[in-house]
Amino acid sequence: MRIINPSFGVMPAGSEVLASGAVDWLKDPIVLFSNSKPNARELLDGLKAKLATIRGIDNIGYAQKNSASQAAPAETLAEVAQSYRIALLALAD
Amino acid sequence: MNDFSSSEVIDLDIPDSEAWNDFALAQGWSDGMPLVMPTEAAVARFTAAARGDNQTFAPISPRQVVPTLASLAANAVMAGCKPEYFPVVLAALRGVLSPEYNLHGTLATTHPCAPMIMVSGPLRQALDINCGSNCFGQGWRANATIGRALELILLNVGGARPGVMDRSTQGSPAKFSFCFGENEEVSPWAPYHVRRGFAATDSVVTVMSGEAPHNINDHGSTTAEGVLTTICESIAQPGSNLIYGKGPYVLVLGPEHAETLHRDGWTIEALREEVFRRARVHISRVSKENRESYASTGRHPDGDWYPMSPTVEDIHIVVAGGPGKHSAYIPSFGGTAVCSVRVALPA
Repeated sequence: MRIINPSFGVMPAGSEVLASGAVDWLKDPIVLFSNSKPNARELLDGLKAKLATIRGIDNIGYAQKNSASQAAPAETLAEVAQSYRIALLALAD
Repeated sequence: MNDFSSSEVIDLDIPDSEAWNDFALAQGWSDGMPLVMPTEAAVARFTAAARGDNQTFAPISPRQVVPTLASLAANAVMAGCKPEYFPVVLAALRGVLSPEYNLHGTLATTHPCAPMIMVSGPLRQALDINCGSNCFGQGWRANATIGRALELILLNVGGARPGVMDRSTQGSPAKFSFCFGENEEVSPWAPYHVRRGFAATDSVVTVMSGEAPHNINDHGSTTAEGVLTTICESIAQPGSNLIYGKGPYVLVLGPEHAETLHRDGWTIEALREEVFRRARVHISRVSKENRESYASTGRHPDGDWYPMSPTVEDIHIVVAGGPGKHSAYIPSFGGTAVCSVRVALPA
């Protein structure tokens, strides 16, 4: 019996994953990214405090979506990609 | 579970429908109810029925892959659709793929929202889509399987697996299927799709990421003022996503409530204004912590009241159902939009 795969789909053009190279967790800039839900900031603050025990935190910053229910705007993602090498996401709810 | 993700056609050694359903369940292709086998021949009948719709599809969230017409048809076959339902399924899919619908957010949320599908226009009768008594319920193949087909597409092509990428805390029965028709024949007002700028001869699918319908019972009121009081107080719920999500909702008037409102002189436009003005939650019904949380994200009451929609235009009013003194309120996810798409039929 031959069937059509109900989960079949193709990757859209331009969706290739680009290698970003190795990162240095002790030196590279890190963005702490919030999904804008309650308690996300608390999670990220805790993470920053943990990171402070092993590295400098001068180049650790925060970013967040405009709305918990909407995707982050492209300009926010571009700005984050431009400024940081590592992103840690808080998926609070 | 095997990885068939790169194969559009799969050869199976399956002896019977029971073994097929066990297989499909193991692949994660099922909503839990039995599925029709999407054989090549069955799928071909569906793709032939969709010849009027020859535009490409956007990638489907959250998996972000572009479907083929055959893979979409396979889901409609599995759902139990007839081939002639398939153009309606495709129109519904185009609706949820509209950027303003925010498909990814509506699928990944903890909120129990599901794609509501409402059909307006001549196809309702041609396909026997129930618009009357029990229109949200069981018993009509078109209603049951069109909604189910869209859900299966979002599960299988989109990858919205419950508990994985579909993070709904409790889910909803509406996630099995949520499709109904507008009861244009008994509505005292113009059909919804005509009010949105489509021709009366068009068949139009309207989608919104909504909760299952909330009943509004009013047997006692015999005036528009009485019915409106019950409707507005039923919509004003502090536990609704809309109190901070700020999105659209659909008010589905039962024909008898609609007739009372029309008899007393209400137009759709005036009703929307009135419901917008009166369906509000007083701050005394919202906890202090929630008021602080809403304020922290820029959500402030209008005076002492939280409105349930951002604007009058976010209130959508239709007539559906049969005899009886009931209407329904369908709140949306919040961060979404009501999207209407004309069904593309073969010439």
